[in-house]
Amino acid sequence: MKYANNPQNYCNVHLPSLEKNMHFECRGMTFTYPEADKPVLENLNFSMAAPGFNAVFGPSGVGKTSFARILAGGSSGPGGNALIYEGISTILYSYNQERLPGWSSTGTHLEKVCPPKNSDLKKELVKIFKLESLLGSRFSQLSMGQQNRMNLIRYLIQDFDLLILDESLANVDEALRETIILAIKEIFPAKLFLYISHNLMEVARFCKDILVLSHPGKNKGAVVVQGQNYKTGYTSDPQAIDRSMLEIMNAV
Amino acid sequence: MLFRRIYQFLIVYCIGVVGLLTVKYAAGLSNYVIPGLAVIFDTAHRMLGSYFFDVLNTLSVTVLGQMISIFMAFFVGIIGRKSSWAGSFIKVMAYNIQAYPIVALAPIIFILLGDGFLSRLLIASMICYFPLLLSVLGIMASPIKDIEHFYIATGRMRWQLEVKIRAFENLNKLTTVISGSATLAMAGTIVAEFIAADQGIGYSIRIALYQSDLACILVALFSIGIIISVYQGILETVGEQMKTKWFAPKGEYLL
Repeated sequence: MKYANNPQNYCNVHLPSLEKNMHFECRGMTFTYPEADKPVLENLNFSMAAPGFNAVFGPSGVGKTSFARILAGGSSGPGGNALIYEGISTILYSYNQERLPGWSSTGTHLEKVCPPKNSDLKKELVKIFKLESLLGSRFSQLSMGQQNRMNLIRYLIQDFDLLILDESLANVDEALRETIILAIKEIFPAKLFLYISHNLMEVARFCKDILVLSHPGKNKGAVVVQGQNYKTGYTSDPQAIDRSMLEIMNAV
Repeated sequence: MLFRRIYQFLIVYCIGVVGLLTVKYAAGLSNYVIPGLAVIFDTAHRMLGSYFFDVLNTLSVTVLGQMISIFMAFFVGIIGRKSSWAGSFIKVMAYNIQAYPIVALAPIIFILLGDGFLSRLLIASMICYFPLLLSVLGIMASPIKDIEHFYIATGRMRWQLEVKIRAFENLNKLTTVISGSATLAMAGTIVAEFIAADQGIGYSIRIALYQSDLACILVALFSIGIIISVYQGILETVGEQMKTKWFAPKGEYLL
């Protein structure tokens, strides 16, 4: 990988410098949708400290997206009274079915939503995400993976403290997904990410803290498992990955 | 699009005339009740020119009335799209008023404003305004969450952008409703002319009615049909061109 050997490739990019003291905690979160019989999230307790690329993992229907949307609503949103944020003021939530308006090209849309100071960052991300040749296309003309990548760039060029990526790299091929995740970790060391994915291997390899959710009623609550948190230029340790994956599966 | 509208009308018109002629010959009715083809052609030869200009007169009021309605519907629809008390009030009011047959208010308008241009314009606008308003309100009040989320989350959402997103995403519905409302506006203008105006095709039909001249009425209907088909065809063509310009071809096209 280009940047694996030479992290200085990002020298022209606006890099957040010092890590902020970041912490968020969830104390006894229970959430039930109006008209629903059972809670989707029940008595969730966990805490995540410091910036990093973390994940939320769990089987389908366990409430990952509901949980992410509650987080995105902040302390004042529904269910948010159980959340405690420190050093996190701007929370963004991106998901994989978002669309860009169709009246102009994706490049024009990116240009319009890009803060001037992040212009170089945008160019760099477009290059890493392999979207340079698609900036003149309309969003509807892109494949699903390209759409997801384009959408993710919009969020990454905003100012944020916590970015929730809800299947934001769905339909992207595995090699490019790895490139993107490693690049995000390298470019944004001072930000907190919550990556929601169904890819157990990927989560175990690249994420630092993995919040594993299980269906309410299983009395397992939420468990935070340590991932391998691989960074650019990593050397893979299959045994450690297997251990992390096993821990995650046991926690589900 | 334009020619399809015209030949569709011609097919329907011919079926109608054939139906009348069938009744005429089956029941042995005289030319006074249902005129024969020769009488219809003779009347067309005499009256088609003047009826053509009468329909154009009516159409000018229709177009103006429709433009006013579209402007008003968008204005009120944009204000009423919010779930604030003003928005809810506008929605409830619009739903209730449209349930009343607006054309029944025409006599009041004629009493107050006389039988001139303004009365015709007002009635034409009122008749196509409420169906337009309901459609615009429905479109403007429905969020396009997968597009709007980003702009809301990043604090970039403005009312102009919201309206643009919702209008763009519903362009098909909007063009269909606008071209459909042309018929309503035309009907409103003709009804107004029929009741009390002193010009337009509705006024000519009223004269023909008083003379029990079905041939004149059939020729008037033919003129109305051809001209409204052309008008609607133009509206649809403009809508299609807008869509072609704005919408890029995509994978669904292959399905």
